[in-house]
Amino acid sequence: MKKLIWGLQVVFCLSLVWAPLVGAAGQDTLVVGVSSDIHTLDSGVSSDNYDWRQIYPCYDRLVKYKVIGGKGSTEVEPQTAESWKVSADGTVWTFKIRKGIVFDDGTPLDAAAAKFSFERTLKIGKGPADNIGAIKSMRIIDPYTLEITLKNAYGPFLQTLATNGASIINPNVMRHEKEGDLAQAWLAEHTDGSGPFKLVEWTRGQRAVLEAKPNYWGGVPKVKKAIVRFMSESADRRMALERGDIDIAENILIDQIPALEKNPDVVVNRYPSQLVEYVYINNQKSPLDNPKVRQALCYAVDYKGIIDYVLQGNGVQMRGPVPQGMWGHKGDLFQYTHDPAKAKELLKQAGFDSGLNLTLIYSERRSSWEQIATILQSNFAEIGVTLKLELMANPTLRDRVDKGDFELCLGAWSPDFADPFMFMNFWFDSNLWGLPGNRSFYKNNKVDALVRKAASVADQGQRTKLYQEAQEIIMADAPYIFLYQVQTIVPIRKNVKGYVYNPMLESMYNFESISKD
Amino acid sequence: MRILQYILRRLLYMVPVLVGVTILVFIISHAIPGDPAKMIAGPKASRQAVENIRKSHGLDQPLPVQYLRFLSGLMKGDLGTSIRNHRPVTHDLRDFFPATLELTLASIVICLGAGIPLGIFSAISRNRLADHITRVFSVFGVSMPVFWLGLMLLLLFYRNLGWLPGSGRLDIGFSPPMQATGLYLIDSLLEGRVDKFFNVASHILLPAFCLSYVYLAIVTRIVRSSMIEVMGQDYITTARANGVAESVIVLKHAFKNSLIPTVTITGLSFGELMGGAILTETIFGWPGMGKYVVDSVNYLDFPAIMGFTLIVALVYVSINLCVDVLYAFLNPRIQY
Repeated sequence: MKKLIWGLQVVFCLSLVWAPLVGAAGQDTLVVGVSSDIHTLDSGVSSDNYDWRQIYPCYDRLVKYKVIGGKGSTEVEPQTAESWKVSADGTVWTFKIRKGIVFDDGTPLDAAAAKFSFERTLKIGKGPADNIGAIKSMRIIDPYTLEITLKNAYGPFLQTLATNGASIINPNVMRHEKEGDLAQAWLAEHTDGSGPFKLVEWTRGQRAVLEAKPNYWGGVPKVKKAIVRFMSESADRRMALERGDIDIAENILIDQIPALEKNPDVVVNRYPSQLVEYVYINNQKSPLDNPKVRQALCYAVDYKGIIDYVLQGNGVQMRGPVPQGMWGHKGDLFQYTHDPAKAKELLKQAGFDSGLNLTLIYSERRSSWEQIATILQSNFAEIGVTLKLELMANPTLRDRVDKGDFELCLGAWSPDFADPFMFMNFWFDSNLWGLPGNRSFYKNNKVDALVRKAASVADQGQRTKLYQEAQEIIMADAPYIFLYQVQTIVPIRKNVKGYVYNPMLESMYNFESISKD
Repeated sequence: MRILQYILRRLLYMVPVLVGVTILVFIISHAIPGDPAKMIAGPKASRQAVENIRKSHGLDQPLPVQYLRFLSGLMKGDLGTSIRNHRPVTHDLRDFFPATLELTLASIVICLGAGIPLGIFSAISRNRLADHITRVFSVFGVSMPVFWLGLMLLLLFYRNLGWLPGSGRLDIGFSPPMQATGLYLIDSLLEGRVDKFFNVASHILLPAFCLSYVYLAIVTRIVRSSMIEVMGQDYITTARANGVAESVIVLKHAFKNSLIPTVTITGLSFGELMGGAILTETIFGWPGMGKYVVDSVNYLDFPAIMGFTLIVALVYVSINLCVDVLYAFLNPRIQY
């Protein structure tokens, strides 16, 4: 026993001597501390930004998001596509692909590679296939010209080509195919793209290591390595950032931000994101099928109180369904305010002057929901609505939302591509009731017609008009309670330069252009 | 010979126990309302995408068929494919189980290495200052929330003092050792990398202590009370009357006889440490099974949940068997 104790003491002392010897990463290695591990590296399968974080820098796409004045934008510009043209009716797109781009094994990135990648994603038929689901057929005109025919004109088509699901994969990946799986098993754990980085290590639960390609056609990345460390605890990421063991910390809990701001080595950046939180009102359930009751609920909510208390000011109240920063947003659209008197009056008109009992369901998926739920409870109590809160597991919640088995439910949404389609069509098209998007089971024939028309037109001006007309109707119908648009907070070390936030690439990093002093 | 027969019989009993566990877990996990296909298809997936996922994982089959499919896979050592990670559950377990095992073993070492001497020390200096200090230390351990303790340890030793590394199993300057056993302490030595070994050791220290503290306190208290009981026995008085040295009395005569309750509690805590490391793993970013299973439950990843439960159940029954066999060695009067 004595020997054992001695042994332990020796190990402890030696550890102390050794531990400080390995310090933080050098200048050519960028380390990001994130909250969640990767599930799969297959761009044709994953619908999760935490996966895209690693997949996106390893591949190229036909188009990419523009960076304007050092800031990320939602506009797209050519990446591997040199140019494109679209037929007058908006259904046939012809892309000219840049010559000279090759995959790691020397296979050229050409029309065949793009066609293969899109076909593979569509064939797998999982989440990412929905985004490029407008594609009807593809034709290789010459090795570097690809013609894509759409089922019908689809306004957001070009935007969808910048999403992770539209990444161009080396067609040679099929040599890893097993039992007709389109190489899914292999691509779940490896990358095979022409992007600026290549995944060289993925130690589950610990880290993923991306190595920069010194001969990347779009310019050599400034760091040699980007390491993504999986650290599930917010306090842990915060301490590591303060010690300099990581350079960027993701998803730090909002109450820890003020302390980080006092640290002279850390810069806390805030960006308006496209992530919104809102309440689904089940429009098909009595008494919520009465628009007056829904309006009353919208008037009952203390929006400012929620933003100040829950987000500590890091958010703005939504003005209609389309968030600020997305085209189609209407700056002068009607906005509900906290007006309990008006809410009571509306309830009275609806015949509920003696009060109402409603139930709100929510899960623990977002840390803010518990607080929002209790605030809503007290807000509704002011107008005589007794709100019962029901906390449940997320899978159960999703199941109940899908079946329409709820009255009120808390939700969060962020767009996959930069187009109001992500809000207007998903949320209000009555063909998408339930989990696919229209979670309030809202149906208004006029709105259906407007948003469907807007989706099939190519002209942005005309689309904006159609979407804005729909928004006016929606605000009167009050199918949801639009709460707020969240600010994304990204604390980084002071010596990290060139980080660009893009609201379309939430939780993802432009590793190729970040450098360290 | 009889002990061998006993072991064989117990091993045979393990089969129905484990099958029973799989049936129970299968029923319980499927009783949670929810659909894993909807969870992993992504928040905005179309019905078609959800349906494709359901089909590709066989979730559209009736439950008994799904269970039988799981069981027939199990016979071949195949635990199915994780719905969330799209890879065989056995591969996931191979990645995550060793981390938990290593942490648990390190905790047990700390638990016994510190708990037993403290217990003995406390017993022989009963009701003196040292005893009181040890008892306060133990009460502290039993009542301390792991989550708070873990964060405080990190805050003090990592952030403020900088003596010990932060979370994870290894500094980023090192690449993980080649997987021979999956236990980094052993694998790094097999690689011949002493520096890596010490780095791993320094990383495991805080989480292992944090995880072990509760059981360390329990072991200390158990050793103390059973030592006090044994020290009051007639044969100890006889030994003393015969002039046997006090150290021999304590370590040879008293200690060995007080070991049975300690072994029992150690066996139980081993199982609990393996299954209960979730909080510690979360705080210390330890890539073990705890976080894996929590995520799996959140996504209703049935194959992963089944695989995890099976492994924990297997460890539990194996440890219990070892404990029962150990009894016979510790106390020759126990026969099977």
